[in-house]
Amino acid sequence: MWKYVVRRTLYMIPILFGVTLITFLLFNVAGGDPAAQMAGKNATAERIEEIRVLYGFNKPIHMQYLDFVRQIVTFDYGRSISSKQKISTMIFGESPELSPVLTSLSLTLPAFLLTLLITISIALVLTVKRGSKLDKSVMVICLALLSFSSLVYILVGQKWLGYELGIFEISGWDPSWTERWRYLTLPTIIFVILSLGSNILFYRTIFLEEIFQDYVRTAKSKGLGQKVILFKHVLRNAMIPIITLVVIQMPFLILGALLTEAFFGIPGLGGLIFQALNEADFPVIRAMTVLITIMYMVFQLITDVLYSVVDPKVTLK
Amino acid sequence: MGSVNVSTHTIPVAEEGAKANRNSLWWDAYYRLKKDRIAVISFWVIVFYVLLAVGCRIGLLFPHFAETNDALSYAAPNANHWLGTDFLGRDVLARAAHGTYTSLLVGFFGSGLAVVIGTMFGALAGYFGGKVDDLIVWLYTTVSTIPYILLVIAFSFVLGAGLKVLCLVLGLTGWVGICRVVRGEYMKHRDREYVQACTAIGASHFRKAFIHILPNVTHLILIQFSLGFVGVIKAEVILSYLGLGVEAGTPSWGVMINDAAQELPREVWWGLAAATGFMFFLVLAFNLFNDALRDALDPKLKNK
Amino acid sequence: MKQFITSMIILSLAWMSLTGCTKKKDLEADTLNLALSANVKGLDPAQAGDLYSNTVIAQIYERLFSYHYLKRPLSLEPRLADGMPVASKDGLTHTFKIKKGIKFQDDAAFPNGKGRELVAQDFIYAWKRVADPNVNSEGWWIFDNRIVGLNAWRDGMKDGKVTYDTVVEGMKATDSHTIQIKLIKPYYQLYYVLAMNYTAPIAKEAVEKYGKEFLNHPVGTGPYMLKSWVRNNKLELVANPNWAGQTYPTEGEEGDKEAGLLEDAGKKLPLIKKIVLREITEDQPRWLNFMKGNLDVAAIPKDNFDSSVVAGELTDEMKAKKIELIITEDPDVTYTAFNMDDPVLGKNKKLRQAMALAYNGEEVIKKFYNNRAIKAHSPIPPGVDGYEKGFSNPYKKFDVSKAKKFIEDAGFPEGKGLPTFEFMAGSSSTSRQMAEYFKENLKTIGINLTITQNSWPQFTKKIRERKGQIWGIAWGADYPDAENFLQLFYSRNASPGANGSNYENPKFDALYEKAALLPPGEERTAIYQQMRDIIVEDSPWIFGAHRLGYAVKHGWLKNYKPHRIIDDKMKYYKIDKDLKAKLKAKL
Repeated sequence: MWKYVVRRTLYMIPILFGVTLITFLLFNVAGGDPAAQMAGKNATAERIEEIRVLYGFNKPIHMQYLDFVRQIVTFDYGRSISSKQKISTMIFGESPELSPVLTSLSLTLPAFLLTLLITISIALVLTVKRGSKLDKSVMVICLALLSFSSLVYILVGQKWLGYELGIFEISGWDPSWTERWRYLTLPTIIFVILSLGSNILFYRTIFLEEIFQDYVRTAKSKGLGQKVILFKHVLRNAMIPIITLVVIQMPFLILGALLTEAFFGIPGLGGLIFQALNEADFPVIRAMTVLITIMYMVFQLITDVLYSVVDPKVTLK
Repeated sequence: MGSVNVSTHTIPVAEEGAKANRNSLWWDAYYRLKKDRIAVISFWVIVFYVLLAVGCRIGLLFPHFAETNDALSYAAPNANHWLGTDFLGRDVLARAAHGTYTSLLVGFFGSGLAVVIGTMFGALAGYFGGKVDDLIVWLYTTVSTIPYILLVIAFSFVLGAGLKVLCLVLGLTGWVGICRVVRGEYMKHRDREYVQACTAIGASHFRKAFIHILPNVTHLILIQFSLGFVGVIKAEVILSYLGLGVEAGTPSWGVMINDAAQELPREVWWGLAAATGFMFFLVLAFNLFNDALRDALDPKLKNK
Repeated sequence: MKQFITSMIILSLAWMSLTGCTKKKDLEADTLNLALSANVKGLDPAQAGDLYSNTVIAQIYERLFSYHYLKRPLSLEPRLADGMPVASKDGLTHTFKIKKGIKFQDDAAFPNGKGRELVAQDFIYAWKRVADPNVNSEGWWIFDNRIVGLNAWRDGMKDGKVTYDTVVEGMKATDSHTIQIKLIKPYYQLYYVLAMNYTAPIAKEAVEKYGKEFLNHPVGTGPYMLKSWVRNNKLELVANPNWAGQTYPTEGEEGDKEAGLLEDAGKKLPLIKKIVLREITEDQPRWLNFMKGNLDVAAIPKDNFDSSVVAGELTDEMKAKKIELIITEDPDVTYTAFNMDDPVLGKNKKLRQAMALAYNGEEVIKKFYNNRAIKAHSPIPPGVDGYEKGFSNPYKKFDVSKAKKFIEDAGFPEGKGLPTFEFMAGSSSTSRQMAEYFKENLKTIGINLTITQNSWPQFTKKIRERKGQIWGIAWGADYPDAENFLQLFYSRNASPGANGSNYENPKFDALYEKAALLPPGEERTAIYQQMRDIIVEDSPWIFGAHRLGYAVKHGWLKNYKPHRIIDDKMKYYKIDKDLKAKLKAKL
């Protein structure tokens, strides 16, 4: 097993190489001109040239890529070229309360877990009652929920629930752990509704696939009750696809939800990426991409290890 | 047929067998779908949208969608304009109807491109395995690791904006899921008897991969295409928010929904209502149809 | 598995109970609640390039000069300077006295944490930072090639040949409270420049203590200090007890008294002890928060306009809530620029004029600014020295038949033979909509446009690399002098400089260079107007509008008189607490 973990970790290197190469090429070769951006509205040609030299934008492209690789290895991403803030602080914050990563997570993680709980429960019920009126109508509702754009939920939710009815805060943020939930309620509800439809459909399919397997027939013929079969066998066997989906989504949770963060004024990473893109702030984009890549790979590894835990048939080699 | 049979006689039989299976799957699926009332209704809704789009495109329906009128800016719904007008005084109903064409086009080509790329890579990886597989797995792991939104924006930076680019961007970023599915299927199929039989008569790799195996995974590709279709239509809205949507002036639901962010506060709700309504029924029909299609085509769920 | 589900249930219950308590914390009554529509980047005066960072810096730092809060047109007055400076006869040497007894705010950077007295060296230090290539200040243009020896010092810093201790001939502290500036050539915008945040004095100790983090630890002499800052969310400022103080102005312009702007005349500032600045980037939440009373004032987004303003007045519904409308003239100009390098557009004056004539400026103002703008006839906006009221640009008229004739004269009857031009729009909905309207306008005379939407970096890149053809953009004044606008046509400022149109005209250049050496006065104004006439005739731009700032404020916010250039304004604001309690309950 440890051998496997080491091998998988080493496998991260070519992936990281690919990701950095793609982001580097896409943004540096074809993106905006950061020097022109930094020079501001009263720029002159000399100023722009000076900035190029100061930040090394005048170096040949492969040298710039090597600088980037050096940053990845040393975990030192320097400063944003737009706000001149330290990138590690921009991502991780000065304290846990002010950390954009944790801010994004405090929106997405509870919402994600809540979605998981709700959707798995509903999917189980639907599996038991498959083919019934309930099953059909819930399915239609799910598909209907999926058919609206996320922007519509945000706009209407904010105007109607936040402003007209005044049940929730319209927008805003409070970094304190005990106060932030006030501002998170509405965005969380919207997040859950947004992911409800697709998740219920997904889990229902998974459970249905399991329920027609031979082992279920065997269990039934042994005279086991529906509940036992469902919880002990079906759910357990469905764990692999569930874990796959859950873990794959995890690293992206720290990215927050771009639109939700923008409209509710939640200072997480979603807004940071958006801003960085709008300002040709390549150092920030690069740092974020590398961060997500590493998270993604780590979670992949966790998935594989979890597989072998839930399913003895899977061996890691 | 446990071992490879070299006699020339049995090979056509193996071929026939695979073909017959294939055909029965499609016929089976067809009869299933026909019996499913929701699926049939959804199908006709989709057909209606296609006809609407074609009608708009050839100028038969709503020919005046681009007509502007300064005096009529943001007129509320009335007898002349059933769903009101937009900032340039253009008829919202006509714009929404023409938006169907844009959406279907983006959905078809965006998802289509993703399917072509995904199938090609998936087939190559699954069929050849080894180094080719390593390379393609590396490629799609890399692409799926980069946050989607970053990838889309980066591609748009490179390629610019507009309808064609939108399809291209969505295609270039959306192929990973299909690639995974197709690769898995090919890995299953490549060792099956009928493929071995083809090898025996000296069929080329290309022939085996794309003439013999491909038809056996078409149903999965079709499901993926149909799912992608819906995803792409919805992605267009988000890209419009980022200013990366279709060219300005082209009627599009994404643009209409985004403009609503500013129109709603001034109590102009009809733009949002029209675009959302049009999108809702199309996406809903697609989703319902997809669901039925999957049930019909995915043999695992056959005994539901 | 069961355990898993149980723990999930507990977790979600805990979460729900936490969110259940949505009871509203009472907003502190004597706090100013404002919104910034973009995120603040940093609070280093040398980096005060963007409007929103600038707004915050101006409350914490002070400069030698600032503008009178109420008087219009703007009038410069000493702030940290002790009276107006003395200039030599040739206009090249300027001597500034600074006030005695001004103290920096208390900060750990100083011995015992007590703010020390401000001295002339703090200005010299701050200005050298602006010139220091390693600081990379956006504000370098204010001193570039102006001050004796400063450019040489800057070059010296690049090679490490000089330090901050090296004396610059043209920028000296002659004693602890006197500064002497020597100019290379007359620079009559100098005093305006010294009212900009770039030139605010900085304590060397603070920069040395915080290093690169100085941008998060502002140490100023102004009325407020930074208390807390949650990045991309909000900043809290509190009154600075060390502030030397100032009193509310006793006179203003006509109408100020009636508007209640002089009720606090002579009172000690600041009138509010705490300010909360929220960074809200989307229109909808900003507007809804204002309507709920969570913000004291808000600019009216274009699309909220119809529901709140009718014929230039607030709706009765808004009036009933005691919401007031404030209209200000912003010294800016929006314009559609042509790239004069373009072989077709650059060579055809008639073609450009035809496009200007086909542009329905009035309708644009109605549609996109809700009449919150006045038609621009020239690049020079009202409130700026050089503006002429009543000046009429012959091509700033919506006249399709004349436009058609012009385009025929240009050799392209009904647009025949013309290529399709690319119009660059920004990425926002409004920018796209305006482009769509312009496209419709040009269609009437047979000119076709394709519209591309660009992110801001792409947009600037295309202009700087001279790859754009036609684009829409705006320029806001740095100081109230037409020179700030006319420099946009000076050939030496061509791309990648601020002259994005790459306009080149030796006659214009000669006038520009001549005016730069003249003091404010009739002679200079006459030259400004000559330059304006050349620009109007050559039409490198289609002039759009000078926008009016429309803001709504709640009745409880007093002493609110905005102007784009006056940035040290929050010390004048006041909240009527009783009225706020009464009005807010009804919202």
